[in-house]
Amino acid sequence: MEGLNILLVDNCKNFIENAVNAFSQIGIQSTLCFAENNTEAWSMLQGDYKLSPLPKIMLIDTNAEGINGIDLITKIRDNFELKSILIFVISDVDNDENKQAALNLNIAAYMSKPFEKGEIISFFSTLNDYWNSIEFSSENK
Amino acid sequence: MIQKLVNILLVEDDEVDVMNVKRAFTKNNIKNELFVAGNGVEALGMLRTSIVPLPRIIILDINMPKMNGIEFLKVLREDENLKNISVFVMTTSNEDSDKINAYNLNVAGYILKPLSFEKFITSVATLKNFWSLCEM
Repeated sequence: MEGLNILLVDNCKNFIENAVNAFSQIGIQSTLCFAENNTEAWSMLQGDYKLSPLPKIMLIDTNAEGINGIDLITKIRDNFELKSILIFVISDVDNDENKQAALNLNIAAYMSKPFEKGEIISFFSTLNDYWNSIEFSSENK
Repeated sequence: MIQKLVNILLVEDDEVDVMNVKRAFTKNNIKNELFVAGNGVEALGMLRTSIVPLPRIIILDINMPKMNGIEFLKVLREDENLKNISVFVMTTSNEDSDKINAYNLNVAGYILKPLSFEKFITSVATLKNFWSLCEM
């Protein structure tokens, strides 16, 4: 996990702030980067602001304004350099169609978005335990 | 997810590891029904003939006879009815090529098989906590 970039695609400033605090409080060693919409996210994946190394993990709020998560995930899955990224979808909307579309794109998980500060810490703590329990390839793209 | 008790399919040829997973499920109070296939060919047969209810989760070994885990994943991802099943690799293989191939076929996680039963229990507990966040 150390030295990895994690890209969060969300435009909710509160959630981003709480996520940053949770990373710090839990002691997550990876760098949390964020993009507010599809265009910004893509520029960090394949454009002028391309992250190095590319993220091995992404968190995407599929239903936030200005973010079409399904379009973004589809583009990622169609791209040879990006298709292996582990994608965790977070959503505060009960939208079965969206969930099925995301699951059909082989995301790692579709999860309800936490809101309270304590819930957010618990959410990232569980995710961090999981991320630490899995192996990643050593290739840095 | 755990509350909805989705079915889980374990694809594993080693009987000791099958027993370890079953015991770790029991120790962690995981009540989901666990089906077992001994290799990729057997697993595909079970999935395609509806011998078992379609699982939402597959725990997959890599090194198996007849059809290994990566070969199985390739076929699974090309099958319209099966391609969206969440797959968690659990293997002794620490080969980078296996990790790259598995992630390119969009597994949800690649877990090295724990060497002791205590670590097996911890590893399965971590999976259970993660699954509790997931909507299937």
